[in-house]
Amino acid sequence: MPPDNGQAIVGQAVTCAGLSHTFQTGGAPIPAIGPLDVTFAAGKTTALLGPSGCGKSTLLRLIAGLEPPSEGTIRMGAETPDEVCRRAGLAMAFQDASLLPWRSLRGNIALALTLARRQSDMDSVDRLIDMVGLSGFETRRPAELSGGMRQRAAIARCLISEPDLLLLDEPFGAVDELTRRRLNHDLPALWQARGTTALLVTHSVTEAVTLADRILVLSPRPATIMADIDIPLPHPRRGEDDPAFQDLAHRVVAALEASAEGRPLAAQ
Amino acid sequence: MTTRALDRPGLTLPPFAAKTVGIVLLFILWEAAARAYAGSFILAGPLAVTAYLAQHADLLARATARTLTNAAWGFLWGNLAAIALAVIVILLPRMERLATAVSLLIFCLPLVATGPILRVLFGTGEAPQITLAALAVHYTTFLALMVGLRAVPQSWLDLVRTHGRGAGAQLVYVRTVASLPYLTAGLQIAAPAAILGAMIGEFTGAERGLGVLTIRAMRAMDVDATWAIATLAAALSIAAYGAFGWLGRRLTGTPPALLLTAPRPAPPRTLGRRVLGLAILIVTPLLLWYGVMEAFSLNPFFAKRPADILAFLVTGPEAAAHRAALLGAYAETLAFTLPGYAAGLALGALMACALLLAPGLGTTMLPVAVALRSIPIVTTAPLIVLALGRGAAGTIAIVAVMIFFPTLVACLQGLRQTPRQVVDIFDSYASGRWRLLILARIPAMLPAFFASARMAIPAAILAVTTAEWLATGKGIGALMALTASTSDYNMLWSAITLVALTAAATYAAVSALEDAVLRVYAAEQVAR
Repeated sequence: MPPDNGQAIVGQAVTCAGLSHTFQTGGAPIPAIGPLDVTFAAGKTTALLGPSGCGKSTLLRLIAGLEPPSEGTIRMGAETPDEVCRRAGLAMAFQDASLLPWRSLRGNIALALTLARRQSDMDSVDRLIDMVGLSGFETRRPAELSGGMRQRAAIARCLISEPDLLLLDEPFGAVDELTRRRLNHDLPALWQARGTTALLVTHSVTEAVTLADRILVLSPRPATIMADIDIPLPHPRRGEDDPAFQDLAHRVVAALEASAEGRPLAAQ
Repeated sequence: MTTRALDRPGLTLPPFAAKTVGIVLLFILWEAAARAYAGSFILAGPLAVTAYLAQHADLLARATARTLTNAAWGFLWGNLAAIALAVIVILLPRMERLATAVSLLIFCLPLVATGPILRVLFGTGEAPQITLAALAVHYTTFLALMVGLRAVPQSWLDLVRTHGRGAGAQLVYVRTVASLPYLTAGLQIAAPAAILGAMIGEFTGAERGLGVLTIRAMRAMDVDATWAIATLAAALSIAAYGAFGWLGRRLTGTPPALLLTAPRPAPPRTLGRRVLGLAILIVTPLLLWYGVMEAFSLNPFFAKRPADILAFLVTGPEAAAHRAALLGAYAETLAFTLPGYAAGLALGALMACALLLAPGLGTTMLPVAVALRSIPIVTTAPLIVLALGRGAAGTIAIVAVMIFFPTLVACLQGLRQTPRQVVDIFDSYASGRWRLLILARIPAMLPAFFASARMAIPAAILAVTTAEWLATGKGIGALMALTASTSDYNMLWSAITLVALTAAATYAAVSALEDAVLRVYAAEQVAR
């Protein structure tokens, strides 16, 4: 489903072909991923769910070019992850916001431009700060911000370099439930409106159904696809009131339970 | 609850009052001891010391200015070298094992021997003092900075890499600022060490400085002068330590709990690579030794090459006699060092536990211990020898004292690392402070204990060689001093080699023991 406002899609599809990854530790090698063949559609948000330690975050790290995969290829359009990184074509949000404590909010967001070797355009930094609802806090240090505000800042830092691909590794995992709901409601429009391709790792079924156009439920390690569920609901979504939302959430939970118990998913 | 009182030391006495009480107690004990031993030419009390300081204020001020200037230059160069080395290791991680090993070896070189050699090399000027001060500071700063440059969450580094930037950008944007608190903590330890290095340099034939005055006072058996200069040097060291601590807090806030643990990279997996790594570790120092001497065309009369030492000890005509002389002195030294090393570590750990069980005592004692930790061995060694004599007791005590204070401070820090929840569980069973100590706190202390055990090795070597040289006239320290003055440079270099090898071997042995123990008690410290 294209973005609802009909804007052009800036992202490109991400294709993993024959992807598998094995950790070479001191003892026996640990297979973490695959084999995995999957395409993440351009301009869509895909959520990755699965049991703890199943390799979701590792998959994100491989796509971000932080580790080379043991086997297989990852391409965004025709580019490798390294090439995408070098032109600052992707941005990643981490579970703990990962703001540098000695930089102001503005400085932390501008850092992404500095790292991407682009001009630090403070007007667009401040505009983005306003869009994520943090105006007035430009000169504050991260320690002076609440957990939810820090996550907003981390998302703003991801968006300032206008990436084609957004990788979100449990970005709202460390905030309380109410704050998480508010962030789920406020922030996704910022990248979904641009048509950015996004991958979201999360543990929350509600969050996945609220944000994603498609949900992949992964098996326990090594991660393979257990279930592939489309979420054809219009944005913004209000879970509690919508029977269709509830129905999809139940399907995702069933798939997760099947994955955790290691049995094949019953036909739907 | 005693455990709670420990975690909030202000509960018994406000910190400032505790510090004052500790210092006043120390001075009263000191004066009382001086009066008790009056006439035995051992101890000068604070009143006599003050009188001497006042009478010779001009002379002492000039000597202090000279020593501090040299210490400052050595501090600057040694720390710049440490920073450069740490940056190289961060940018080229493959260099780490080698850089750490060479750095440790240089740190273990006995100043007693390097001093005279530098004196021959540079003449009577200030260069040897400055070099020794630099040598005394570079290793601890390097270690502290390495810990700091690495104490960065993985996601901060990933953030840089996802923007397509590498190790250089990580260093500039993330690691440098993150390491500042560790750097200032390292500089705090380095400041008194630089004064120590400069004073040892002055012992080896300088014309001015506090070290020169110390030597004169000891030769003249001038008890008042010896104690006055020692007190002055101790006060300078404590002031330097305190000043850098204050500066660090101003610049970076609360300093991190710093364990000076040498970073230990994962060993290579295959046997072939291990052998290769070991070979590189052995060959590189030899190449450096030979290469530096050749590069600067140092006179072979005093700058002996590895081949000269081999001939002197193994293949030459009187090799057996040389070996016997060297190993005889070496055995004497070991007989002092090992008991002193063991006693210092044991007393430090035990005292830390005792202070934990009696926290009121801890609040009073800890500031004193932290201050005493920064007093250089050259100032305490003559005093201990005056008090305990030139026999085994004096030397062992010097080694033990040198190790005691750093171990005590590190172990107390370690004991406080016990996770709060674990303490709460023990409290909820009302299990008593002894059981808490043995089952929870001592295991939490082990990483700190082993870190001090490793850092104590160079300290023990410095202490024993200095004591033997300045006071007892026995062992390898005296041998080095003797051969330096009789220009028997083959023997001097042999002694240096033997001491450095011993340090490296002991260090490796303690590391192996540490790995085995920590694997059980603190798996995160040995995680690879």
